[in-house]
Amino acid sequence: MTDFIQNCIDGVMIGSSYALLAIGFTIIFGVLRRLNLAYGPSIMLGAFVGTLLYVQFQAQIFTVAIATVIAAVLAGMYVERLCFWAIRRGAAVASMVSSFAIWMQLEEVATVILPERTYPFPALTEKAPIEIGPFFLRSEHLTMFVVAVVLVAVVHTVLYRTRFGLSVRAVSENPLAARFMGINVDTVMFWAFALVSAIGGVTGFLILATDQQVTPYFGLWATFKGLIAMMLGGMGSLPGAILGGLLLGVVEAQSLWYLGNDYKDLSAYFLLFLILIIRPGGILGHALSERERAAFRRV
Amino acid sequence: MLTVDNVVTSYGMIKALKGVSLTAESGKITCLLGPNGAGKTTLMYTIAGILKAQSGTITLDSTDLTRHSPVKIVEHGISLVPENRLVFSRMTVRDNLETGAYLRVGKNKKGIADDLERTFARFPQLRERSDQLAGTLSGGEQQMLAIGRALMARPRILLMDEPSLGLAPLIVKEIFRIVEELNQAGVTIFLVEQNARMALRVAHHFYLLEQGRITFSGSPGELEEEEVIHRAYLGSQRKGAPGEGRRR
Repeated sequence: MTDFIQNCIDGVMIGSSYALLAIGFTIIFGVLRRLNLAYGPSIMLGAFVGTLLYVQFQAQIFTVAIATVIAAVLAGMYVERLCFWAIRRGAAVASMVSSFAIWMQLEEVATVILPERTYPFPALTEKAPIEIGPFFLRSEHLTMFVVAVVLVAVVHTVLYRTRFGLSVRAVSENPLAARFMGINVDTVMFWAFALVSAIGGVTGFLILATDQQVTPYFGLWATFKGLIAMMLGGMGSLPGAILGGLLLGVVEAQSLWYLGNDYKDLSAYFLLFLILIIRPGGILGHALSERERAAFRRV
Repeated sequence: MLTVDNVVTSYGMIKALKGVSLTAESGKITCLLGPNGAGKTTLMYTIAGILKAQSGTITLDSTDLTRHSPVKIVEHGISLVPENRLVFSRMTVRDNLETGAYLRVGKNKKGIADDLERTFARFPQLRERSDQLAGTLSGGEQQMLAIGRALMARPRILLMDEPSLGLAPLIVKEIFRIVEELNQAGVTIFLVEQNARMALRVAHHFYLLEQGRITFSGSPGELEEEEVIHRAYLGSQRKGAPGEGRRR
């Protein structure tokens, strides 16, 4: 029982970073109704810029963090202009495929910056795990969790208390009606991408600072975790993204403990299939109504 | 005054509007009647800037708005109540109304609060449901919300695209009462309708649009009501008339 609870704690901590990745995917999907596969890789590129400063110039951890976030935002804006702004709506498949192409491109850029496979990433803290009764809590995990909670609160405030948030919600629901209100849909998409990439940059930094190393495959990893968590919770649902992320984290931690490392990812995929069979829209997802679909086609 | 002059709009190769000209006088209710596929909604979208006119001009009080962006057009005081209402169903009634005032959000808090108050005074049902999701409202309430939302932009002219669509007869009556009330309060209205009987009752001036062309312009009473209704639903199927009917 103690093991089980310990696994749950670990799972929730790690799952909080999955939740952040899923929030990124879900906001972009909400606004664009298109998948941005290059989300993970653009975070990875940001991390490579950060680690470049660390390896070559011995930059402090704070500088690495800032550089990671800024570079991730720039990479995200680049992806948006190329895959989503330049390729018009209605061509959802073209956008997705081109975001896949950009993924490859970003990996190439990363290996040009730093040609070796693995690079060290600065550690956030060197503190010993915190003991609470019979349970242990890694301080990096605790930091990750606290930052995740803060970021979720920030995202919620932005979405529900600001003018920009109003426009993001309006565009997510019905871009055509949003245009009738005088909302510039292109601008909203651009800044939504910037916001999401900043969240991604912070998330990537926290994960890598926990792992203390970075490889070009981090992009693939982040896209997988974010997508699975989003699909679990329900596409386009913010609470769903959080729930999906935490659930994924817990399931992974449990299967890692009880079944071993080989089964960790396998059980995550199994869970995904199971939930998609029972609820194709995800746990908190809802199917798009015919009228909403029509509105997205018309813009 | 809204002036549409010789506007042509196409979907690819197909001309939906083949040179439409009309005016909507300030302070009046102007109606555009016509059957399905005549180009009514296309004209609304063109005025709102969602579709771009190929040629012709659209002016509001001598400001040329042809081919401007929808943002600019809303800024200049044209506000649309879209066909099928298109309320944001997963947002609250209050947030829906706020999107209507989007261009002023964050710049004019007091003004928006006043406008909200005025909207709630006009539509008391909306006040009761202000924190409810718009998707939970009845069709009539959603139509009121769509009208309220459009008014939040403080428009100089209100475009309404088939506000009676899909509503029960009693609700339709209520909507047209609202249209008249708004007009008496000084709002200029340009109304697109298929419900010719109701529209003729409130309109000061009306146009018939058939197959992308204006085929009649006049005041209610100038044309036999039965003929208007017939043409508004079916179009004039006068055989052999040049330029009409089934020409491909």
